[in-house]
Parts: sequence; C-alpha cells; structure tokens
Amino acid sequence: MATLNEKKTCSERMENFRRFVWNPETKLFMGRTLINWVWISLYYLAFYVVMTGLFALSIYSLMRTVNPYEPDYQDQLKSPGVTLRPDVYGDRGLQIYYNISENKTWERLVTTLQTFLTAYTPAAQHLNVNCTGDKYFIQDTFDGPNNTKLSCKFTSDMLQNCSGIADPTFGFPEGKPCFIIKMNRIIKFYPGNGTAPRVDCTYVGDESRPLEVDYYPVNGTFNLHYFPYYGKKAQPTYSNPLVAVKFLNITRNVELKIVCKIIGAGITFDNVHDPYEGKVEFKLKIED
Amino acid sequence: MKKEMDVDDHKLELPDLEAKYSTSITKGLVGAVAAERLLRDGPNELRPPRGTPECVKFGRQLAGGLQCLMWVAAAICLIAYGVQEGQGDRGSADNLYLAIALIAVVVVTGCFGYYQEFKSTNIIASFKNLVPQQATVIREGDKLQINANELVVGDLVEIKGGDRVPADIRIISAQGCKVDNSSLTGESEPQTRSPECTHDSPLETRNIAFFSTMCLEGTATGLVINTGDRTIIGRIASLASGVENEKTPIAIEIEHFVDIIAGLAIFFGATFFVVAMVIGYPFLRAMVFFMAIVVAYVPEGLLATVTVCLSLTAKRLARKNCVVKNLEAVETLGSTSVICSDKTGTLTQNRMTVAHLWFDNQIHTADTTEDQSGQSFDQSSETWTLLSRVVTLCNRAQFKSGQENVPVAKREVIGDASETALLKFAEVTVGTVSEARGRFPKVAELPFNSTNKFQLSVHTAGDRQLLVLKGAPERVLERCSTVMIKGQELPLDAQWREAFEGAYADLGGRGERVLGFCARWLPAGTVAAGTDPEALPEVAVGLCFAGLVAMIDPPRATVPRAVLKCRTAGIRVIMVTGDHPITAKAIAAAVGIISEGSETPEDVAARLRVPLEQVDPRQARARVVTGAELAGMEPGVLEGILRAHPEMVFARTSPQQKLVIVESCQRLGAIVAVTGDGVNDSPALKRADIGVAMGIAGSDAAKNAADMILLDDNFASIVTGVEQGRLIFDNLKKSIAYTLTKNIPELTPYLIYITASVPLPLGCITILFIELCTDIFPSVSLAYERAESDIMHLKPRNPRRDRLVNEPLAAYSYFQIGAIQSFAGFTDYFVAMAQEGWWPLLCLGLRPRWEDTHEQELQDSYGQQWTFEQRRYQQYTCYTVFFISIEMCQIADVLIRKTRRLSLLQQGLFRNHILVIAIVFQVSIGCFLCYCPGMPNIFNFMPIRFQWWFVPMPFGLLILIYDEIRKLGVRRHPGSWWDRELYY
Repeated sequence: MATLNEKKTCSERMENFRRFVWNPETKLFMGRTLINWVWISLYYLAFYVVMTGLFALSIYSLMRTVNPYEPDYQDQLKSPGVTLRPDVYGDRGLQIYYNISENKTWERLVTTLQTFLTAYTPAAQHLNVNCTGDKYFIQDTFDGPNNTKLSCKFTSDMLQNCSGIADPTFGFPEGKPCFIIKMNRIIKFYPGNGTAPRVDCTYVGDESRPLEVDYYPVNGTFNLHYFPYYGKKAQPTYSNPLVAVKFLNITRNVELKIVCKIIGAGITFDNVHDPYEGKVEFKLKIED
Repeated sequence: MKKEMDVDDHKLELPDLEAKYSTSITKGLVGAVAAERLLRDGPNELRPPRGTPECVKFGRQLAGGLQCLMWVAAAICLIAYGVQEGQGDRGSADNLYLAIALIAVVVVTGCFGYYQEFKSTNIIASFKNLVPQQATVIREGDKLQINANELVVGDLVEIKGGDRVPADIRIISAQGCKVDNSSLTGESEPQTRSPECTHDSPLETRNIAFFSTMCLEGTATGLVINTGDRTIIGRIASLASGVENEKTPIAIEIEHFVDIIAGLAIFFGATFFVVAMVIGYPFLRAMVFFMAIVVAYVPEGLLATVTVCLSLTAKRLARKNCVVKNLEAVETLGSTSVICSDKTGTLTQNRMTVAHLWFDNQIHTADTTEDQSGQSFDQSSETWTLLSRVVTLCNRAQFKSGQENVPVAKREVIGDASETALLKFAEVTVGTVSEARGRFPKVAELPFNSTNKFQLSVHTAGDRQLLVLKGAPERVLERCSTVMIKGQELPLDAQWREAFEGAYADLGGRGERVLGFCARWLPAGTVAAGTDPEALPEVAVGLCFAGLVAMIDPPRATVPRAVLKCRTAGIRVIMVTGDHPITAKAIAAAVGIISEGSETPEDVAARLRVPLEQVDPRQARARVVTGAELAGMEPGVLEGILRAHPEMVFARTSPQQKLVIVESCQRLGAIVAVTGDGVNDSPALKRADIGVAMGIAGSDAAKNAADMILLDDNFASIVTGVEQGRLIFDNLKKSIAYTLTKNIPELTPYLIYITASVPLPLGCITILFIELCTDIFPSVSLAYERAESDIMHLKPRNPRRDRLVNEPLAAYSYFQIGAIQSFAGFTDYFVAMAQEGWWPLLCLGLRPRWEDTHEQELQDSYGQQWTFEQRRYQQYTCYTVFFISIEMCQIADVLIRKTRRLSLLQQGLFRNHILVIAIVFQVSIGCFLCYCPGMPNIFNFMPIRFQWWFVPMPFGLLILIYDEIRKLGVRRHPGSWWDRELYY
C-alpha cells in the first residue's frame, strides 16, 4: 500500500486541488466536463422540481382536509394554561417586586394592567352579546353575523375594585395590589363539569397561613357562559373571562410565594412537568 | 535492517577465528573477558523494541476525526447546559443528556477499537519460547553450565542432541551433528553440521549453527560468533517487530471517507453558525446550532456498523477454517491482487511421497493424493515384484507401534523423510511391510552414509540370500551388470545406460529426489550373520538393476484448482520459497503457478539454442529467480522483472528477500497477501497487506505476525477468503450508502429550523436513537446480502479507483434518496402540526415565540392558547413523527440497497431473512420508543397518532420505484451517462 500512503506536501495537495478544480488537459471542471455539469444540473433541477411539486401537493391536500373551525386533535391541550397580569419574569418564573415609595417600580405594573384591560372596555366588547345564564353557552348553529357564533361580553367593570376604573393604580401604592388571572382558551373545552371553575390563591407550601384575598367577580369564578370556545373562525371577537385577585395582607419587605389555582372539574394543576397548567405561581415582594 | 547478514566467520580458518575473537578453541574465554563482553554487548537474548505506551494507544482511539468532532459537540452541549442552568432555564437538562450520550458513544467506540488493536499481541513474545535457557560453555578450560543469556561472543560452547543452539556458533568439531533449521529456512529436513565450510552463504554453509535451532542428534563444539539481537533469529525477530503494520485498504477507505465526512460536517456547521450569527441569534445559540448540525451530520453508528459487518464475515470465515485476527483483514483478501505463497506446507503436503517410478524402461506415476484416491500404475510386471521387494527390504524406517487403525498416510514413522516415503509407499502398494520383512529376515546391513551414498542389506530368502541395495542412481548403476526388463534379466549395455540416464535426468528435472534400486540373489551362507558391514560393498557387485523411484513433496490436491480460481479472479500467485529452484519450478508447474506452455527464459534459451542473455524477456511468461540472483540485483530491477513476467517463482530466498519481494509488489500498486508458516516468513507476513499463517504447521511467530490463520493449512481456503472479502466490500458499500442516506433527513430539519424559524422538527437525542439504535441492525443485515454477480470472475478492485465511498454513492444517497426522505419527514411534520392546530404558514417564523419560555398563551391557528410546556410536548410529537418518517423511508432504503444493479425482484425481496428480521426489529423499536410510558420525559418520544405512520409511506414507495428505474437504466445502458452518474 506504499503507493497509497505517500505523504504529500502541502504544495502538492494544493496543486492536486487546483488540478481538480480545472484540469486543462482533460478539460474537466471539478471532475466533469462543462456540458456534463449542465446535464447533471438539469437532472437535479428536474428532480427537485418534481419533488417540490409532490411536497406542495401533499401540503395542499393536507390543508384541504383540515377542519377550518376546530383542530383534528388536541393531544397536548388536556387542561388549560393559566396566566397572570402583570407578568414580569425573573430568574425563575414570575416575579413581581415593587417599592411603594418608588412610583416608577409599580407604575410599570399598573400600565401593564391598564393596557391589558383596554381589550375589555365596553367599546372593545361592543360586538359581543350580554349573557346572563350560568350555564354553558352551547351554540350548534352559526347565529352571529357573517356566519359566526356569538361570544359573551366580558368588560373590565366586572372586576369591580380591580377594574382600574375606581382605582387606576389597582391598589399598588397601598400595598394591596390587584392581579388578573386568565385561563387559556381551548376549543370545545367544558371546564368545571357544570359548576363554574374558581380561582383560589394560597401561599406556596403553607396553605394554612391565611392569605386574605378579594376575588372579582365574586368568589373568583369564571362564569360558565363563556364556555365552550368555538375557535377563532367561529368566534372572532371572543375574549377570555378574567378573575382579579386583590391581596389584602401582604407582609412588607418579604418575598412571598403565592400560587393561584383554578379549581374545577377537568382542570388539573398537579402536572409536575407544566407549572402553568391549571395554576400560576409567582413571587411577590412589596417594599416600602 | 533489511541488509543481509554479512558474516564471513565460516570462511575463516580456525587460527584466524581465534585471533578475531581473541579466544581459544580449546580453553575458551577467560572469565573476566567474558564479563567485560557481556557488559559491552548486553545479554544474549531477544529484546522487544520499545512500544507505544498503552494509554497513548487508547488516547489515539479517542482522537480520530469523527471522535474529535463529537468531543467538540459534547463540549458545546456542556457549555450550553452550564450557561442555561446559570440562567435558570427549564429543559436545559437535554443538553446534559446529549453531552453524556455523545461522550458515551466516543468512549465505547474507542474501547472497541482499542480492544481490536490490543489483540494483535507483541511479536517478540512468540520468539521467546524458541530461546534456550541453559548452555554448556568452556571457559578457562573448565566446562560450565551457565544461563544462555550470559553467553558472549568468543565463548566456546558444546551442544548435543536435544539442545537448542544457544547462540550463532561456528562449528569447530562435530560428531554426527544434525540440526533442524525449519524455524529459519522453512525446510524441515535435518541438516548436517560439520567444521567444513561448504558454501559462501553463511545461511547455507554447514559450519554455522544458528541461535534457537534445535540440535537433533550428535554433538558439536563451536565458537559463539553472534549473540542476542545480532543473531539471525534476532534479526528476523527485530525485522518482524520493526516492520510497521501496514494500514489495511479498508482502513484507508474508511479513513478517507471519515475525513470527508468530518470536513463536510465542519463546513456545514460553520456555514450555519455564520448564517445564524448573521440572522441575529445569540452566540451561544449559534454554537448549539453548530453542535446540532455536527450531531445530525456525523454518522455516529457507522464505525460500529462496519466493525460488526466485518466481524460477521470473520465469523463466517472461521467456520470455513480461516481465523481472522485483524478484522479489517477480512476485506483486504478481497482486494488482494498478488498472493505470495510459501511452498512447503501451503501448496504442498509437507511430506515426501513417491511420485514416479522407472522400471521396464517406462516412467510410472504413483498416486500422490493425500487420501490415496488417485490412479495407481500397472503392477503386473515381474520387475515390479523385484523392485517392490527391494523397496520394502532395503529400508530402515518403521511405523511406530499401535497405529494399525490409522490410515497409512497419517501414521507416524521412525526414520528420515525419504525412507518414510518409501515405507508408506510400500505399505500402500504391496501390503504389510512388517510381514514381508518377517519373511525375509535381515542378515546384515550397511546403513546409508555420505561417502558411499548407498545403503544395502542382505536377507535370508528361503534357501538363498537376497542382497538389496538402494542409493544415488549413478552409484547404484556402477554396481549393476544386468537390468531387469519385464522379468527378464538383460545385460546392462550402452542402450540401457542411455535409457537410464534419460529417465534419471527426466525425473531430476521434475524437482524430484531420485533413488536407484537393485538386487542380487546370493547362494545361502554367502554373507554370514554378524559380518562387518564395511565388508558388504565387496559382495555388492554385478547386481541386477530394478528401477528408479522418484520422490517429491507433492502439491495438495486442492491447490491447482484454487490457483486457477485465483487466476480467474485476476489474482496473481507468486511462489516464494526457501527450496531449490528446480523443485520450486516443478511444484509451481504442477499447481499451475507456472501455467502449461509458459516458459522461463532458460527454457526459451534451450529451445532456441541461444545464450540466455539473448532471450527476449517478453517471450518468457514465467521466471524463476533465486535468492542469489536477487541479492545481486540493483534496486528497481525486481519491479521490472515482476512486471515483465506474469508467472514468478522465487527460490532459495532469505527472510529479508521475502520482505523485499513483498515490498516490490506493493510498490507496483498491488495489494499483497503472503502465506507462510516459518519464523523466517514472519517479517514478510507482517509487511504484507494481509499475512496468512498456517494453523497446523505454522510457528507461533508466523501466527502472531499474520492477520489471518488457515486452520487446515489449505491454500484453497484463501480463495474462500477472497470471495468473502469481495462480498463484504460490496455489502459494506451498501451498508454505508444506507447509513449515509439518513444523515440528510437528520440535517435538513436544522437547516430549515435555522433559516425558516419553524419549531424544531427533530431533536438531537432522537437523531442519536436513529443512528445508534434503530438503524444499526438493518445496516448490519446488509452484510448478509448475497453477491449480485459472480464476483470471482472480476478483477480485484483497483484501490485507487474503486473506492468504498465514491461520488455517485454520496450524491445519490444525499441528494436524491436523502432528499426524498427529507420531504417525507417534513410532510409528516406539517401534517402533525396542522392537525394539532398549527398550520404550515403559521409555523414559518414561529420559532422565537414558540421557544419563549415566558410565553404561556401562544395562539395557534384556531385561537387556542398554549403554554410553553404544551408546545414542548407538541415539539416532541414532531420529533417522533419525523423519526417515524425517517424509519419508514429507511425501510424502503434498506430494500433498495439490497442491490446496486439488479432489480429487487431478481435478487429476491425476502431471501435475506436477517434483513426481514431487522426491519421487523426496527419497527418494533420504533413502536416501543413511541408508546412505552414515560418516554416523553426521558427520551422525548411521544405516543403519536397511528395515521402519522402512514404519511411517509408513499414517499417510501417512491424511493422503491425511483431506485428500480435507476437500476433498470443502469442495466439497460451500461456505460451511459445514466450509468456513470447513478451507479455507485
């Protein structure tokens, strides 16, 4: 094998490479004649055109078969996620720290809430209908305009003390801040199995310690008439119902871990792999 | 190192010798001088050369091209893990797992390789047991027993039967001393040792005995002329251990292609690193992309696959009596273009056998087959009766007792090689020898000696006495006055003498050892019991000539066919032997190494009646070159001769010359296999691309130096090896093509992920599962594929042109089949995403929000809101779906790889059962990974919907059909553009 193992010097290698790129004797460019390159390129071009065509065809037929109103499967959406406003993330999860005496630290949080609630002004909700029944709002037909379904109105005034109307600072300067809890929407999800799911906030790990909370609307429930959700196409103006929580006895200058769970049949909050499923956990620290 | 031994001590007169070594041939050395010399020359033993430390060897296994890349990838993973952990990210443990998995892969493959290397043990160790322990030395006139390693040059030593010669010694006096030089020269016949210088070459002269050879009988006194590593055996040992083990062709192929893969992996990785940086990804993410691309592109399981394929073939060969020590050697045999074969024991049976007889003025051919299955000659003549009687009686050899049930050919005999041959011949043709000897009791005998060159005995035969004599034909004829023809005693006139000369020359020219036989009836009592043997020759005159018997070590029955097979397979067989040129040529002609009608330059000269110098080498296909001629050749001449004459025989060669011959062939670009059995063959065995040692006759040194051992010593087994080697090369090509294909569908998800910012379709851990788990068995099962054509009728592959991985193979695998697989994967990916709520157009550019751990309410195409973890499980679903797509396409891939040219239907879709099992296994593993509980959080596999298994199937079918079209084109239009571009 001596012939195959010859050590080549760098210049020989370069020369070999140059010869590979363009060999003037055999008129080979990178091992092929130019016409051969043209042929092989055309072949690959044709090949990829056909393959892309087949791929496009598959995607096209896929889109023809999917249901525009609701997904075929909801394998990952067994239980809804829960989110919190204001949402400030620290190193590990949500972290709401502010100082009463420093306006800047809480004004940001207040702005977040105000911005969030702009979607719930009567003006923003004018397309939705007033619902009164405490039952699931089941619609088998498209009764809304433009072949849609109706959505129930949720306006910020339903959050009473936390609506930002009476108190535009949401209680932050007094050390009794409001937080808004929202449940993710899932198509045709019936939470609570007939009873309205409600929010329940406690200290993490120490459930016996009393956490004084005011819930708005009363009892911190999501009224059943907001469910089920029929999807973006059927309910273009749908807005998630909200629950506001107002913490009344927050110890100052201590970092507190609070969890707000949604209690109701069909909603799980014990999935160790998903901290936002059925509950939201956050750290709260109010300094003065 | 390759220099021949330049010793002239055998030519020196004793006084000169004494002066040279300042010693005395009567009293030996003075103790103090001996001690001084011991200090100067070192002990008289073989020293192993300094080897590479074991840890360095192991380290090298961990630092190959791919391994380095994997280390880098693992390091990036660990860094990413560390940084992400510091930032408090969830899900970053994946990077830790990945790093551990990568390191495990590297270390496990490294251990595997190290073990392979470790097995090829130290050569010197096998020489150790040849070396004597004790020596009888005369110092200052006293006879001492000392450890052999304390001997020094100039010491006076004594040896006797049963001893090993303790150093290279010049014989000063000897009484009937015979040594067995087989370990050095490969010739098993005992050699006489005497004080006379009989030959210029130190290897052939009688007055030198060599270190480690066995003294069989007699005694001798000699002067130590070389010790330790400077002895002949020491040189062979250091030659053998000093010869670098050549890289096997398959190792070169794999290295070549691993380099390309590693280069491409770095190229792809770096390109997309830059692309990612330009797009605006943070540095760490770009590094993770680089790592992921390396992991996706490097075929992690390939080296394991190749090793397993080779060991499967090695196992198959082991069943056919070829034990392969070095796995890669399996393929080397397949690419072998020259076999340098030793003669004795490999091509021949390694036993003297009666081959021809001349009586009644006619040459008769005896049966030389191992199992006496051949034709016998006409035994009706009365001359034969006489001749057979002489053969039976004039023979001192006898069978060892208790072997009545053993076939004659296998019985053990006390006596030398010729007598043994005659004894067995007589036993087979005439019948029980001992009985015949009993009927004719021996009265007196004169054993063979080198001055008389004959042996005679007188036997009582009823009321007469029978004198029988055998010996060198010319000496026998001198004592004859009549010749027996068809039972008639005719006077031995000039005409018969001429006939005799003719027959003698004829048989001698066949390389056979010829003995003459004659007899005479004597009146009873002519020779009395107890007559002085020296008086017997006087009686032995006027004898009746019975015939000639010619003996040879005959070729094995299977060898001529094997040589012919080698020829049809384009392999050149060269004989390299230590034996005489005439014998070598005769055997070469008998087995077909020199084919019928081929002539050597000498033959041509004789035919044309011109001097040898005027012969045109082109007229002579064959050539016999002796060691002496070789020694006189300029460098480069040998290559010329090898090129000019296709049929070569080398005779009387030394170990160094064998090495030179092998190297010359290698310089001509040949892949050389060497077969041999003796210690003398070990350097050439080691130097060869593949050394083949004989299992039965082979010395330990030869077996250690070899890559392969023929358990049955049968040259024909090599042909099996060649066939298997060629098959495995073809099948490895298929395995590698199969393995490489999936790298593209593993790589494209990352490329699309980076450029189109879709949620990641395929994870690194999933890729490792494809590489190291599901696809290993199918790629190995291709090693069981049958040959597509008659591979033994093709020329050996040209190691420069016929590469294992060539451009069409890579292009076809990567850019065509790999592309189809990628499309299949993406189709299935978009299906799974769309059916869960994420339509294709939404997916594009979704990545930043999709991967935002703070985003807990990302809306899908239906307005549903997803937490990060819900999206993560959806991403795992995509991994699984893509994984299943690749698996489905790989099933089609393994089917198309069964053949490179033939249609699948011609090859038989299910004939390779292992492959079918492998596919079932692959699917089962896929199912297990998908549906075993707990998988999502351990290995990121999700229980996917059943129908997603079927999405890629049309693409699999497309692969099958497309490849059938390709093969059809290749078959229909050989040599066309299609064939050149698409046949790998």
